[in-house]
Amino acid sequence: MMNLGPLTIDLILCGLTFGVLSVDLALPHGRKRALGYLTAVLLAGLFVVSFFIDVSGSALSGAYQGDAWVLFFKRFALVAGVFVSLGAVDYVDRHFPTRQGEFWVLMLFTLLGMTLLPGARDLLLLIVCFELMGLPLVVLASFAKSEDKTGPGQFAPEAGLKLYLVSSVSTAITLYGVSIIYGLSGTTKLAELGGVGVSPMLFVGLAFALAGMGFKIGAVPFHMWVPDTYQGTSTPFVSFLSVAPKATGFAALAAVLILGFAHQKAAWAPLVLFVLVTSIFFGNLFALAQKDLKRLLAYSGIAQVGYMMIGLLTADAYGMGMLLFYIAGYLVTNMGAFLVLHAVAPNRSTITLDDVRGLSRRSPRLALALLLFLLSLAGIPFVVGFWAKLYVFMAAYRAGYTWLVLYGALMAIVALFYYLQIAKAAYMEEPTDAEPIRVDGSLDAVVMACMALVVVMGLYPSPFLQGAMAAARALFG
Amino acid sequence: MELLHVALAVLFVPLGIAGLLMIVAPLRRSGRAAGVLSVLGSLFALAGSLYLFAALFGASGSELDRLTTTWLPHARLGAGRLASPIELGVLLDGISVSMLVVVCFVACMVQIFSLGYMSHEPPADFGRYFTWQSLFLFAMNTLVIAPNLLQLFLGWELVGLASYLLIGFYFRKPSAARAAVKAFWMTKLADMGLIAGLIVLFRETGTFDWTVTTPAATVVTFLLFIAVMGKSAQFPLHVWLPDAMEGPTPVSALLHAATMVAAGVFLIVRADPLFAQAAFTREFMLYIGAFTALFAACIAVVQSDIKKVLAYSTCSQLGYMVAALGAGSQVAGFFHLTTHAFFKALLFLAAGSLIHAVHSNELRQMGGLFSKMKLTSICFIVGALALAGIPGLSGFFSKDLILEVVLARGAYVPLAALLVAAFLTAFYMGRVVLLALFGAPSEAAGHAHESGVSMTLPLVLLSVLALGSGYAGAQLSGLYAEPVHFHLSTIGIVATGLALTGIAVSFWMFGPAKGGAAVQAAFAPLGRVARSGAVDQLYLLGYRRGLRGLAAGAAWFDRYMIDGAINAAAYGTLELGGRLRRLQNGDVQTYLYVVAMAAVLFALAGLVGVG
Repeated sequence: MMNLGPLTIDLILCGLTFGVLSVDLALPHGRKRALGYLTAVLLAGLFVVSFFIDVSGSALSGAYQGDAWVLFFKRFALVAGVFVSLGAVDYVDRHFPTRQGEFWVLMLFTLLGMTLLPGARDLLLLIVCFELMGLPLVVLASFAKSEDKTGPGQFAPEAGLKLYLVSSVSTAITLYGVSIIYGLSGTTKLAELGGVGVSPMLFVGLAFALAGMGFKIGAVPFHMWVPDTYQGTSTPFVSFLSVAPKATGFAALAAVLILGFAHQKAAWAPLVLFVLVTSIFFGNLFALAQKDLKRLLAYSGIAQVGYMMIGLLTADAYGMGMLLFYIAGYLVTNMGAFLVLHAVAPNRSTITLDDVRGLSRRSPRLALALLLFLLSLAGIPFVVGFWAKLYVFMAAYRAGYTWLVLYGALMAIVALFYYLQIAKAAYMEEPTDAEPIRVDGSLDAVVMACMALVVVMGLYPSPFLQGAMAAARALFG
Repeated sequence: MELLHVALAVLFVPLGIAGLLMIVAPLRRSGRAAGVLSVLGSLFALAGSLYLFAALFGASGSELDRLTTTWLPHARLGAGRLASPIELGVLLDGISVSMLVVVCFVACMVQIFSLGYMSHEPPADFGRYFTWQSLFLFAMNTLVIAPNLLQLFLGWELVGLASYLLIGFYFRKPSAARAAVKAFWMTKLADMGLIAGLIVLFRETGTFDWTVTTPAATVVTFLLFIAVMGKSAQFPLHVWLPDAMEGPTPVSALLHAATMVAAGVFLIVRADPLFAQAAFTREFMLYIGAFTALFAACIAVVQSDIKKVLAYSTCSQLGYMVAALGAGSQVAGFFHLTTHAFFKALLFLAAGSLIHAVHSNELRQMGGLFSKMKLTSICFIVGALALAGIPGLSGFFSKDLILEVVLARGAYVPLAALLVAAFLTAFYMGRVVLLALFGAPSEAAGHAHESGVSMTLPLVLLSVLALGSGYAGAQLSGLYAEPVHFHLSTIGIVATGLALTGIAVSFWMFGPAKGGAAVQAAFAPLGRVARSGAVDQLYLLGYRRGLRGLAAGAAWFDRYMIDGAINAAAYGTLELGGRLRRLQNGDVQTYLYVVAMAAVLFALAGLVGVG
């Protein structure tokens, strides 16, 4: 009898996916909105269940591992799934009334890839999970298809195609790198890779493997698809795309760099450092020049990824714990920010500064939420983003990268400029359209939940920090 | 019942009520319901604090219980020096629980009193008032039960906020809005000392605990004392307190007499182990406290506004407490804090009742009120006698103790200042009593009538404590592990003599005979100094010359140096961003090219670097 304990959550999720697919078949047209709510409820239920079952241990002859680290990512994906289902249900219902089932099933499949990947302890399984996550994302990005020539899905096919092309090239490069690594070590098991001596060829393999993962997290120089795709696809989906795959990408990077090649840190640390520094630099610089808010947030996200990579660079439990805390804070902050943008302009995929101008008059609640999200992204006390930045800086300082702290703080000031510009437009300028904003109930609920979490994690970060530290310690055994 | 649960409930019930009133606008705007809810919250807090107080007497040690939760884990200092995690929580011991009782009791009395006093306000304002009152109670209790200096600081800033909001309650009146801002600025300026002190303490010891031993104690305590001077209105940072009388009178009673201004003194009491390591700071405190006691008492003599007299009197009495703590007696300072809280709250509330009757703060608008408002007048006289230090009343015991410890310390100059202040205290209180309650009634005083039961009941209850709380001193001192024996000493007899002389002189000047024009003339120059607001003028001068000059210099530097550099950087950044943007041209071929090239370059760099 095979031990599938560590895969319990993933197996249930797989079952739920087929469940939603069957319900879709049974539901008549016009009542399919229920599918979105069903997805949210099922995912939330699974999230609760995850606290009551034991998923630790090893499975698939050592190719799969379950521990606190893996569980963190599984729960992360489930929360992101709940938020996006509630945030997008109205959008999906209005724009694709007949194809709702497909949307949610694809969403569940990509989530399955995300819950599976962090536990993969074999390079091949890792790549399969990556594609399980990646391909449905491509379909979802171009979900509006050609039926929508003028509406919000105008650029969706282009966005999807770009995502697909860059994604497939990246995967190809990754596979090439993995094949080199296999050639050197004779194994694809992460645990056995450590014995390989540092050689030029290993470095080539590692560089290629990293290039593919750099694409997933959207780090410079593999970031160019990010703004185009964000701009072209529907905003609620972007809120998900901007957060969940990044976390999975970090799980994959941690698996390869820390579980596989911890002893060769000297070989990969310069690469990570280079990617991190350029991401922070170009992300912030490009964001400065943006008028389109989704593009702006896309570039700011590239910079945020740079800050997260500081945790990876330190490669110790403390740094990785702070990375996890950063991602958790980023989930509620960034999803919240994109969902506010969606609430402001629910029928367009292009959202500019004009749309949020005078938001405080049109909807004080949304304006407050947006303000808190922006402050959190900028790293102002007492919202979660402040602790996130502070703690990754502390991790960098501990690891001896004092100059990196200064550099990061300096670039955070640059970021403050474009974040506060949005806040200024929302609070201090006259609205171009004085109409009060009506927000769909479940979308409103998600935004409020994100706002509450941003504040709670900002005022009382201790339990979250300790949870993140516990998860990170599991990675180091 | 778990003591900690009670403490947490005492803390969070008022916060819950404040939050409810803030969020649910219709409830707040309803006025009456908001007030009743807030009073119920304060009654609950009072009951809870009394329960804790009762438990204190059954306990063996002085510390009852302690609960802390980690707020920030892994707060590490650099270079491997480990700091303990930063914690928030509840510390229940003799000092915190007895302070909790004082705060909750006075807050409860004041809120009940306010139901009557504020009844003529529009419902929305009435609700707003009680929202801030509940917020204040939470903030003050956060400060009182703090297990470390960081939480004390959080509460400290929160009471500052509540104070700002309540002083500026009549914000439509320009003078009230100005007074609120002035109080905020002055205390905030002083709070820089507290922040700096905490930073130094944390750097040196890695904790916010007040029980640590550190060579930096003198620096830390001196910085903390700067904040105390702001909060507890010590010379020369006292100027905000008289202006704060712009707030409603019950607010003056609670915040600016009994509790909030005493927070500074409470900080010193709390951080006694730190202050004990700093002889210089204590010496400084002794002199500042004694000087403030005398200086403020002098000014109180010539004020014509009944609330201003009481405000300067508060400054003066806080000076006594600071002097006592400077002389090294935790018990003397804290004991006087306790008795003062009761009798000064009583005086302010009774004054509020008088003001309510004649619709004016001016002493000359009063007069002859004793026959119209017997109950209020008797309560006021009780408070005045307690303040003057007449034997048998609470103020006598605590003031006598302070004089004794200063004498024991051998500090004769501060002792003389405190004795003169004791004389002046009796004198100015005699003056207020005679002018307001006796003598020829003014026109307004002719129509005055006794206030309602919601206003007189708190007065009676506070009078009982102003009369009796002095006898609890011996029991209380046992709680702080510093037993004190009360006995009638020489210095006590001297002080009593001075107080009686003060009353006699005031009777001679302002009583029915209206004698001593000579004495009045002698005080005239002092009156001019006080009315000219010399210290305020000094600040204004400092502000105009010093601060503005500095600001002009800073502005120049900011505009041409910093802004110039930033503008250059920003321009360069934007320009660079604009150029780099061309890379992002929307061509997916370019994107793929960049990805592939980057991968190849990475690999090449590796080949060169490793090989």
